[in-house]
Amino acid sequence: MSVEAKQGIAPLRIPAGLGGLLPALILIGLFFVVPVLALLLRSVTDPAPGLQNYAALLGDVTYARVFFNTFLVALVVTIVTVLVAFPVAWMLAIMPATLASVLFGIIILSMWTNLLTRTYAWMVLLQRTGVINRTLMGAGIIDQPLPLINNLTGVTIGMVYIMLPFMILPLVGTLRAIDPMTLRAAALCGASPLAAFRRILLPLSLPGIAAGGLMVFVMSLGYFVTPALLGGTSNMMLAEMIAQMIQSLLNWGLGSAAAFILLVVTMALYALQLRLVGVRRSTGGA
Amino acid sequence: MTQLFLSIRKLRKAFGAFTAVHDVTLDIPKGEFLTFLGPSGSGKSTTLYAIAGFQDPTSGDVLLQGKSLLSVPSHKRNIGMVFQRYTLFPHLSVAENVAFPLRVRRRPEADVKRKVADMLSLVRLESFAERLPAALSGGQQQRVALARALAYDPPILLMDEPLSALDKKLREEIQAEIRRIHRETGVTVLYVTHDQEEALHLSDRIALFRDGRIEQIGTGEDLYLRPATEFVAGFIGNSNFLAAEHLESENGTASVRLADGSIVKGVKATHKLERGQKARLMVRPEAFRMRPVEGNASLTVEIVDMAFFGDRRRVVVRTGWGDEIDARPISDSTDRSNVGAVAGRQIFFDPAAAFLFPAEQGA
Repeated sequence: MSVEAKQGIAPLRIPAGLGGLLPALILIGLFFVVPVLALLLRSVTDPAPGLQNYAALLGDVTYARVFFNTFLVALVVTIVTVLVAFPVAWMLAIMPATLASVLFGIIILSMWTNLLTRTYAWMVLLQRTGVINRTLMGAGIIDQPLPLINNLTGVTIGMVYIMLPFMILPLVGTLRAIDPMTLRAAALCGASPLAAFRRILLPLSLPGIAAGGLMVFVMSLGYFVTPALLGGTSNMMLAEMIAQMIQSLLNWGLGSAAAFILLVVTMALYALQLRLVGVRRSTGGA
Repeated sequence: MTQLFLSIRKLRKAFGAFTAVHDVTLDIPKGEFLTFLGPSGSGKSTTLYAIAGFQDPTSGDVLLQGKSLLSVPSHKRNIGMVFQRYTLFPHLSVAENVAFPLRVRRRPEADVKRKVADMLSLVRLESFAERLPAALSGGQQQRVALARALAYDPPILLMDEPLSALDKKLREEIQAEIRRIHRETGVTVLYVTHDQEEALHLSDRIALFRDGRIEQIGTGEDLYLRPATEFVAGFIGNSNFLAAEHLESENGTASVRLADGSIVKGVKATHKLERGQKARLMVRPEAFRMRPVEGNASLTVEIVDMAFFGDRRRVVVRTGWGDEIDARPISDSTDRSNVGAVAGRQIFFDPAAAFLFPAEQGA
């Protein structure tokens, strides 16, 4: 048995000690690398060999609008998520451990609740006759219902809510590693709370913001359910477009090409972030 | 008489039912090196934090040149501080750490450059200017912290056990640095430590804290040679305490009866004691002699151990009633070390170097 197994592995020339990684490598190869390659293959062969699918996507104003809108939504969602998550993460980082773990539980619990349920809940809250508009009108603050749904506002609210845990968790880790005494030292050095935040806390939390921000941005780029339910027809996102291409138009080649462009952009962003964070750390951000 | 500089007035800090600092009152003249010494939980750090503005006192006041500091937020107090933990900004170079207080004060770039260079040369770390804190040893980091705390010429420098994370050799080295820097800059220093040797080495005056109160304040010599209480005598230097009964006292000297019935006359007693009151007689290890001297008191003891340390011997003896005494007499040629247990020897001490304290409740 063992001799056979050795013979089976030997032609692959796996360095000694890496044999244990084999199951993981097979898993990734079979379920990640192969499908991505199939996707790439399809995008340049369906319906006919050539780059016409990419030419169509990159040359058409309608598609360009979808790409632009996708990046706009992802960017807005990421920025708003960072702004909302930072104070929450800071609070979690400095509060007593027992209380913090309870709040962590609540945040994690929201992640475990069904995505569709949460998005429908936002529909109930945000629509013209929804809870928010009726409350505001009842209180006499507004006369007309605010347009909170089927537009960028609705998508942003719904997606920020869903993305928050992915920003808060890495950020808490980074913030907890910062010694609060460092901020006291900054205060005695003469730094106002704002100056201490800008010159000390913010630079020190950048790795966490970058890690969480990238995760949120990338997830937002390919998000489907929330933009489909809370967004309007005028600001379609890439995932919706891919779904349409494949489900309605049955154009697998065009859909594959769009998906591949999304993947390449995502990987490029990741590479960029690795560079930026690395550089920032080593030059001290001064 | 020095002018009034920093005054702490009836400072009190309570955390719920626990009072960490009880009405501490203290005047510190300009340029003094004052150490808050005491065991952990004695209120020394809490007092320092009230001066820094990290803790609001329950009552009392802190005055700098006659003006209250309490309503001034930390970042406007213009006080320098070196912390127990390393608090350099990890993302800034050594030079930028030192420049930080100047940059937040928006000083001109040329001034910042000059001052940073001055400060780094003061702590002798010129060649480390471009390093990040993580590339420095603990001792170097604390020296940079010192440079950062002095860069804006604060009138007061607070130091909260800055050397406690360093090993003994490094501690002594940096103590010498701190003495030199205090001499060169003339800054007023408030230094917190629980290490009495460090306090004696560094300070002009020492305030010995106990349970939130100042037990005694004075020079190191005051505290060592003229301890006001048994606690001070026990905390500063090594001391032996012998159970004794007070007989009578006059003009600061007293007669006592030891447990074996022998009577010692002429010991120092600053406290008022009743006749027959239980007391404790404190004798420093170096006050003992192995040979009789005119006017000395004697004790009949059993020698438990004797070792030779060059100029002094360390002799451990046990009295007839079971008290153990650690004696460090000056060496002479007639005694032999490592003799093992010897019963019935006599050791001697000058009563004028012995202090009588009332026995404390529960002691």
